[in-house]
Amino acid sequence: MFEFFEQIRLAGRAFAEFSNSLFEPTIRLGVTGLSRAGKTVFITALIHALTRGGRFPIFEALATGRIARGELAPQPDDAVPRFDYEGHVEALVNKRNWPDSTRQISELRIVIEYQSQNGYERSLTLDIVDYPGEWLLDLPLLDKSYEAWSAESLRLSHEPPRDRAAAHWHSYLATLDPSSAADEQAALAAARLFTEYLQACRDENYGMSLLPPGRFLMPGELAGSPALTFAPLEVSDEEPPPGSLWAMMRRRYDAYIDIVVRPFFRDHFARLDRQIVLVDVMAAINAGPEAVSDLDGALAAVLDCFRTGRKTFWGTLFRPQIDKILLAATKADHLHQSSHDRLEAILKMLTEPAVKKADLAGADVDVVALAAVRATREATVERRGEKLPCVIGTPVAGEIVGGEIFDGETEVALFPGDLPADPKDLFGKDGQAFRGLTTSTPQEADFRFLRVRPPVLELTDKGTPALPHIRLDRALQFLFGDKLQ
Amino acid sequence: MTEHHRRHRRPAAFRLDDDRVTVSPVRASERDIGSAIQVVPEPDTFAVPVPVGASRDLPRRGFRWGALFWCAAGGLVLLAIALGIFDLIKDFFARNAELGWLGLALACLAALSLAVIGIRETRGLMRLANVEHLHQRAADVMATDDRDKGGLLVKDLIGLTHKMPRLARARANLQGHLGDIIDGADLVRLTERELMAPLDQEARALITASVMRVSVVTAVSSRASIDMLFVLITFFNLLRRLSYLYGVRPGTLGLVRLLRQVISHLALTGGLATSDSLIQQILGHGIAAKLSARLGEGLLNGLLTARLGLAAIDVVRPLPFAALPRPTLSDLMSETLRGRGDADEVPRLESVDISPKGD
Repeated sequence: MFEFFEQIRLAGRAFAEFSNSLFEPTIRLGVTGLSRAGKTVFITALIHALTRGGRFPIFEALATGRIARGELAPQPDDAVPRFDYEGHVEALVNKRNWPDSTRQISELRIVIEYQSQNGYERSLTLDIVDYPGEWLLDLPLLDKSYEAWSAESLRLSHEPPRDRAAAHWHSYLATLDPSSAADEQAALAAARLFTEYLQACRDENYGMSLLPPGRFLMPGELAGSPALTFAPLEVSDEEPPPGSLWAMMRRRYDAYIDIVVRPFFRDHFARLDRQIVLVDVMAAINAGPEAVSDLDGALAAVLDCFRTGRKTFWGTLFRPQIDKILLAATKADHLHQSSHDRLEAILKMLTEPAVKKADLAGADVDVVALAAVRATREATVERRGEKLPCVIGTPVAGEIVGGEIFDGETEVALFPGDLPADPKDLFGKDGQAFRGLTTSTPQEADFRFLRVRPPVLELTDKGTPALPHIRLDRALQFLFGDKLQ
Repeated sequence: MTEHHRRHRRPAAFRLDDDRVTVSPVRASERDIGSAIQVVPEPDTFAVPVPVGASRDLPRRGFRWGALFWCAAGGLVLLAIALGIFDLIKDFFARNAELGWLGLALACLAALSLAVIGIRETRGLMRLANVEHLHQRAADVMATDDRDKGGLLVKDLIGLTHKMPRLARARANLQGHLGDIIDGADLVRLTERELMAPLDQEARALITASVMRVSVVTAVSSRASIDMLFVLITFFNLLRRLSYLYGVRPGTLGLVRLLRQVISHLALTGGLATSDSLIQQILGHGIAAKLSARLGEGLLNGLLTARLGLAAIDVVRPLPFAALPRPTLSDLMSETLRGRGDADEVPRLESVDISPKGD
């Protein structure tokens, strides 16, 4: 019943927005990605491209000079903070630091003034939303009961390599009885240990992605509230006895869905026209095969939440759908360009079921390996007659290769290891997969991708320099090139 | 260890400020390197600007009044003619019933054949438009590097060339590559190399033969007007053969349209072509003319034919020149001069099948 009213509400707002967009064509571009996939950098580079220009040969409207100007405008939602574009560019260009991890939702609007191919002067409004990637993993919870979520979380936490991180929490969980009387201290301790387990899984060496609920990792203003003080229990599918710990946990789980997940879905997720999903495949490969299959599960869960389909008239009126999805493997600059195809193939394999579903619904789907800000250049290294395709960059301070700790100033030529030609080989033949940081030391790992500092850019007379990129132009052309015809 | 692990190269990092590492854009010879590690930075391929080709046609703005005018005027003329024939047959019937029936039968036959001719011409024109479209799409795919569009384009090209037996092997090769992961632009280049290379060679031979014929006829003929007529007929023939060779099969109206395109193409690119070979041409012509005035004129007409032929290739070829070198005027002329005594050129030309098939 609640679901039904929710749909009516969404339809009503869609109708209101449609009449608005008749006078002022608007696209809501969803920039989605798990945490550390590079959402903030992507948005910064996108805004920079549209306001500052640069070398974007494949983004036709910009390359042929039809875009007169792109200007930042006040955003439509007054309750949402503004995306700090200027601060992020400043950090990238002057301090050579990547922007801080996103901690809260923010939004920005760009108005693109352009001349259509027939010579008419038009404008297109682009709304971009940035939010922490952890929140995304809450969306699959919308359809799950507390019991189902508990069972799934427990099953996951018993699988290697997560079981190592979850040992503390498991031993505490064994002392709890779900049908005992509700005890606030027990709930607090369980929630704390559960959160610690989630945080450990997110660590670089584990590289896990599927870690709901997202607010546990990024609580914001809700920290310490009852809605964030619950944890999975070993329970069955039956009704909880009244007044028990189980009943309390279940009530709080439902409150979490109502307070956190549903508003996020309603206000930001259900209104998108175009979608780009950023995926950091390399971080998962860095950590190991378990992290890759975990990423697979997380992507499947996330992509399942999209409402995709061909644009139809009635759809535009009452049920906006995403008609173009771009799946982007970010940080492609960590690889030599000869391996980009293999990276795309891996991402394609990870997202195959979702892509098929979207295809059937009539949406356009594309996969691309891109780097919104390119931090490396390419080189061939010859060593004992062997030629290695490398990238040259400056690893951030603290990265380790071969026992050497970098100071953040030294330039290094990196060879990350050969990606397999067939993506299925990533999981190994005869059940023997590659070794990542989860199970072995950095010296033994089969792949090493280092985090690299942003590139050195020369300041020009025009103010901030254009940011170098890989295939960002192709992404922009796919996402809204057709709206700028 | 599985095979995968044996082939897998281990990750590695090299400090650029290390003493054992040399950084140089030029690769040193093997001896100089010794055991040290050499880093060769590559030119920044992503930074190389992709030229955005201006569209071939001028942008069309608004309603096409010209087309409407010609359609309306043509319809009026057709109506007038139909009325005339109707009156004529009525007259026949007034004079004699048999004569009337005969006239009616003839009129029906004429109408029927006109309809068939019309259909054929339309299909020819459509094929021509299709080739233009393919050309544009290929250019788009090269620019955007879109894999799916590239795949579709290759499938269409295989369809276009499925009636050319000599490309059977190339088509089979291409079919095999369709499942591979190849970026769009590379796919187009691959297709060009596989499908267009044999055709280009044939086209080159066709032009060379025409150039030779024109040169010889001009050199021995007595009147300039005959020369020009001969050049024109030869070129028309050449254009037809080239278009059949590349699978266009345009029909008469299509041929006229092609001729218009070739001439406008020549006007657009003529300037570029002049600059690279003008001096050479003048020099060559000067020397030839000193030897004999007729021979010089013959060469000049040959040059004209060759240039028209090259422009024709640009127009009828379904793919732009990207992977294969565009034949140049100097290539063709030197081939002509060398090929004068070459006997095997002629039978190959005769084997080009120019008869319209299937329509």
